[in-house]
Amino acid sequence: MLSLVPQLICATLEKVLHKVVAMDPASPALLQKVQGKQLALQLQELPWRFVLSATAESLLLNQHNEKVDCVIATDLATLQKLNDPSLLTRLIKQDKLQIEGDLQVAQQFSTLLQQLNPDWEQQLSGWLGDALAHKVATAIKQLQLYIQTQLQQLEQASVELAQDELALSPTQAEMNQFSRDVSQLQARLEQLSRHHAFRQE
Amino acid sequence: MTDQQPDSTHFGFKTVKQTEKVSLVANVFHSVAAKYDLMNDVMSLGIHRLWKRFTIDCSGVRPGHQVLDLAGGTGDITALFSKRVGPTGKVILADINESMLNVGRDKLRDLGLVNNIDYVQANAEALPFADNSFDIISIGFGLRNVTDKAAALSSMFRVLKPGGRLLVLEFSKPEYEWLSKVYDLYSFKLLPAIGGLVANDKESYQYLAESIRMHPDQDTLKQMMETAGFEHVSYHNLTGGIVALHKGYKF
Repeated sequence: MLSLVPQLICATLEKVLHKVVAMDPASPALLQKVQGKQLALQLQELPWRFVLSATAESLLLNQHNEKVDCVIATDLATLQKLNDPSLLTRLIKQDKLQIEGDLQVAQQFSTLLQQLNPDWEQQLSGWLGDALAHKVATAIKQLQLYIQTQLQQLEQASVELAQDELALSPTQAEMNQFSRDVSQLQARLEQLSRHHAFRQE
Repeated sequence: MTDQQPDSTHFGFKTVKQTEKVSLVANVFHSVAAKYDLMNDVMSLGIHRLWKRFTIDCSGVRPGHQVLDLAGGTGDITALFSKRVGPTGKVILADINESMLNVGRDKLRDLGLVNNIDYVQANAEALPFADNSFDIISIGFGLRNVTDKAAALSSMFRVLKPGGRLLVLEFSKPEYEWLSKVYDLYSFKLLPAIGGLVANDKESYQYLAESIRMHPDQDTLKQMMETAGFEHVSYHNLTGGIVALHKGYKF
């Protein structure tokens, strides 16, 4: 029975994706760029490799190990950071992210998923009416903002706690000072070893 | 099996003349076509959709592929393939039964899938296609009803492109004794009753249960595929072996 779990996940997610894509009036133009391309995603936390393929109308999801255009292997935490393109090279260097195949395909899919902007409010208004739908949408946006602020504050507070209150980790200035010291030490060591080598000759 | 006359075959547990089986099976499917999808969902609790998805996942389908969905019935597998081969590919939905083909065509059109699907009424034993035509051939819950399975497998081998693969999704033999007992109880007592209630056709579902028992088990079918010329033949048991997916390549 367990062998069909990935198929169940794919079927469910594919339905959700189909709805989300249909809600965005700009989606056909976005899909056109990736149409016919396949991107595989191998998450460390999951035993299955999922493959996302784009058609003219929607995004399809499958589970297989066949040849695809591009494979991304990473973990869940890193996946969330991928929407910042500037981090890409650093993550690859840190070995947290492996990309095989056509890098452009990965970028195109990433752009598509970021630019996808489903018009929830429009859909909701069909059920609730315009006024209530707007209120709900505004409330959700405010809630998102509130959670974001709280998370940022929590992060700031925990950093301060670790650095200033408990003195577990160094502050930025201490860290810089330490790095400078290490660099100076290295330079001195190099100087000494060159000196030593010169003496021996 | 051994005392079978040379010109006779199975129709469920009954032994009938080979020439009669086609029309007997045809009657079953003319009778159930309209309620086929509903019955599939009721009988398998919707799991048949996942069996079909698993088949697609094992197919290696890519945009541009030529696919033959044999005994395609009401087009579930065709729908999945059609989206995946895209505008440059093609799926041919073939079924021997006109009623099933009509139901399938109407359903796929309602789903908006029209551009890359052709419909062909064909007998799996003598496929009306040129040699080396398809990248993938699938036959889902159909081989069981074919009179001469060896001829059908050879015919599929002929029309498959070198490097192509055949996928046979079919009821098979449960892996565990206890499951086998529960399954027998379900399919001989409950299934005909549900069939009578939902599709108003008890006999057809009695035939379904019987035909499943007469179908070759996993290893026999694997052997038959190898005899027909397929290589690297393997099978996956699904839902405890109630269904098995056989996969074979032509090189």
